[in-house]
Amino acid sequence: MDELELLKQDWKKQNEGLPKLSYNEIYQMILKKSSSMVKWIFIISLLEFALWIFLDIALRLNGFAGEEVLEEANIKSITVILSVLYYSIIVFFIVRFYLNYKKIQTTDSAKVLMKNILKTRKTVKYYVWFNIGFFMVTLVSLITYLAFFTTFYQQQGDLEAVPIKVIVISAILSGLVFVGFIALFYRLIYGILTRRLKRNYTELEKLEV
Amino acid sequence: MNKELEHSFVTNLEQNQNIVHKVCRIYTSNQDAHNDLFQEITIQLWKAYPKFRGDAKFSTWMYRVALNTAITLYRKSKRSIKTSDLDTMNFKIKAEEYDDEVEQQLKLMYTAVKQLNDIEKALVFLYLEDKSYREIADTMGISEVNARVKMNRVKTKLKKILNP
Repeated sequence: MDELELLKQDWKKQNEGLPKLSYNEIYQMILKKSSSMVKWIFIISLLEFALWIFLDIALRLNGFAGEEVLEEANIKSITVILSVLYYSIIVFFIVRFYLNYKKIQTTDSAKVLMKNILKTRKTVKYYVWFNIGFFMVTLVSLITYLAFFTTFYQQQGDLEAVPIKVIVISAILSGLVFVGFIALFYRLIYGILTRRLKRNYTELEKLEV
Repeated sequence: MNKELEHSFVTNLEQNQNIVHKVCRIYTSNQDAHNDLFQEITIQLWKAYPKFRGDAKFSTWMYRVALNTAITLYRKSKRSIKTSDLDTMNFKIKAEEYDDEVEQQLKLMYTAVKQLNDIEKALVFLYLEDKSYREIADTMGISEVNARVKMNRVKTKLKKILNP
């Protein structure tokens, strides 16, 4: 194609027209902070890890778990096992995240680099879904258990008029709304951050088919 | 030790800064964005520099980090890019060197290149820099055959943009 060859010749001649930065100007630049996407993914991910751990601890400290209820319902030991399981899974996610993050190297090929970034981001995505899932399953099973196998709700005077089914269904519904809200929130945060990356990665992937 | 590293890095980059400027020219459309991207590439190069072993040429190593930053890491600034910027692009074609027809053709070519997507721009950039298909393939992380195929498609696409 002659045009591209023409462009190539002109391209080589453009050197004189390029800006020329001094030693000091370049030196000043290396002192500045990066604003790269990877950095943002890293910061947001750390906030996410912190958020869920914080939520869990805050709920425990405020006695949300309702010690007496658990005692009464004989499920105290189950919750201890669940907590141990929960925290070991979180540690697993944090280690995975850290290892993936360490793998991100600008000196890799474009495709490998993009793949590693998307992997890091995916770990956090799974972490969030794990939390939501864990939260939902715990909530629904606890309420169902209390409603059908104990007399917990019958003892609450003001709830007397409300049928058990309504309690369970409304708990599930409000849980779903909560999940939907979080999903939307994530789509927004990461959607904006990784839209371009995903597009470029797909473009390279498409080539290899 | 750190001072020494800083010094060797800045000296190296100062000598090879054209490569980074050219990447910025392909990927940005105004001076602010150009400076932003240059800054980010410099930071990424500096971050990767301790691992630069010198077994490759500094310039070869730069292509990779610079393109990776432009395609993958760089977050475009909020400033919207006005289409009018496309006409007043950084490319200054010296009028005295070409006749009008050639000059016009070059202008159209640069505008057409600007319309390509990020990956296609990278391929064109490496092609214009006289890189072999082997190098292009390595930098992008695709096979050599696919680099060729894709480059041909880009050429066709450019042709279509120029002669709609």
